[in-house]
Amino acid sequence: MSKFLTVVVVGTLAFLVGCGGGSGTPKGVPTGGNGTNVQPIAVDGGPVPNQIYPDGAFTSVTLCNPGTTTCQTIDGILVDTGSVGLRVLSSAITLTGLQPLTSGSNTLYNCINFADTSFLWGTVSVADVQMAGEVASGATIQVVPDPATLGFTIPIDCSNGGVDESSQVNLGANGILGIGAEPEDCGPACDPNFDNGVPPNPSPYFLCSSTTCTPTSVLSFASGQSQQVLNPVVLFSTDNNGTIVQLPALPGQAATETGSLIFGIGTQANNQVPSSAKIFALDPSIGDTFTTTYKGQVLTGSFIDSGSNGLFFPDATIPACVDIPDFFCPASILSLSALNTETTSVTGATSTVNFSIDNADNLFAGGGGADAAYSTLGGPNTGGPFDFGLPFFYGRSVFTAIDGAAVPSNTPTAPWVAY
Amino acid sequence: MNTSTHGKGRVSSVCAWLSVAALITLGFTFPAFAALGGDVSSIQADQAHMKASLKTTVSHAYTLHEIKTPSGNIVREYVSSDGRVFGVAWHGPSMPPMQQILGTYFQQFSTGAQAQHAAHVGRRPLNIQQPGLVVQSSGHPRGFVGRAYVPGMLPAGVTENEIR
Repeated sequence: MSKFLTVVVVGTLAFLVGCGGGSGTPKGVPTGGNGTNVQPIAVDGGPVPNQIYPDGAFTSVTLCNPGTTTCQTIDGILVDTGSVGLRVLSSAITLTGLQPLTSGSNTLYNCINFADTSFLWGTVSVADVQMAGEVASGATIQVVPDPATLGFTIPIDCSNGGVDESSQVNLGANGILGIGAEPEDCGPACDPNFDNGVPPNPSPYFLCSSTTCTPTSVLSFASGQSQQVLNPVVLFSTDNNGTIVQLPALPGQAATETGSLIFGIGTQANNQVPSSAKIFALDPSIGDTFTTTYKGQVLTGSFIDSGSNGLFFPDATIPACVDIPDFFCPASILSLSALNTETTSVTGATSTVNFSIDNADNLFAGGGGADAAYSTLGGPNTGGPFDFGLPFFYGRSVFTAIDGAAVPSNTPTAPWVAY
Repeated sequence: MNTSTHGKGRVSSVCAWLSVAALITLGFTFPAFAALGGDVSSIQADQAHMKASLKTTVSHAYTLHEIKTPSGNIVREYVSSDGRVFGVAWHGPSMPPMQQILGTYFQQFSTGAQAQHAAHVGRRPLNIQQPGLVVQSSGHPRGFVGRAYVPGMLPAGVTENEIR
């Protein structure tokens, strides 16, 4: 069956052009552009009225009808280094010129599931995406509609029993900016060349008529014309090999904190990797994770994720809060330590991370219940890995190098994370 | 039939062969699989549904069926000696099909997921701990890990730490 899809606007894939024939590891970082590569971020509780989203870093994204200057700036977009793809609620979009990818009379839909089993279902649509002085022309983004407008039930392969986050109050944001270590949200497994064109099961991509959805393969980034939801960074003409998320140190809690999302690694004076940085090579076959040793437990599958709003790790000795058992409520603040290493050694980096965990009930009640930023917020991840969520970012610059991108010659092949 | 059986050090070879014999007696022509709480002899649907390969391992108090899909998703189902699935664990790039692997426990999981989400905004691991069902899910897209089990169904001497 032909899987050819019509792309409404073909974006400039300058990233791939610069990498040549595609064999071997691209080296040699392109020189930086002359626009700003710094995007402000704020841990400010998010855009939902009367709701404080704790430890979420939010930013604004400018969307334009492709090839035009008809644009809209949307705030309240969650900065998420743990996922890939720009996803925006349709309810937040006033632009009328964003078109979905289609094949005949069918529309391409994308599903993303998150670890808490929540999901977003929406069209793969094309927009010019601007942040700071960077532009991703013709970028595939996910536009998430109100399911009541669909005319069909979201496939159970997507909903999977979890929470539909298609509303601002459920999502806690107007969208998610996924800037993880991969160029697209699915990768080679969704490509028609993989497994004889059989989509993964469950499939992240569907072609839907007005009534029916069918799983489909979609071209991946390696093919040169990705139909997947892309990491918008890879489409920037420069500063396109990764990002840095920085937040100032925070000893306790605060009403808000402001920091920076910097585009590019080693491309400008402001995004060089310091010699003191610990670089952890990531293996895509194990989900771009590393190993954390904590209280004698060897936790493979660990990761750094600005989109998690706390430090989540397995520790049966720390009591969970009675009212919200997803967070820790120790009697008093605990000083703890974990050791990070690569799961497959490349750089041999080891890093001791000292952190504190305080009583979440007290934290949320502090500051008159209006604080958004907490450096000591955590919760149990029983049976799971160490999830270094947003509190890890306070007082750090965290680098994420994107799989397949050209990185500085004194750093390992991407993907990797460094701090 | 795409199965292999490995005897663990703690298992007597007699026990290993008895378990294998039991599976053969039930007349499987291809690997059997079942949902949480389900009977291993009742369905082989999971493997077919996920278009996956299967590996079976016999351990000290249970049989472990592991299926792996072409895209690298792994689901492990822990089956007690009386043929019941008491635990399921997964890891891989995608979330597993929850209705398929949780069976009659799917609705209880879904209700629990809605309740946790409603209790507090944010993104954090799923942590449903009820007397009749535990579901824990963490990780991130392209790197999920999780498990589900029925506490009352764990065989004697088996702890939840073995379900992973």
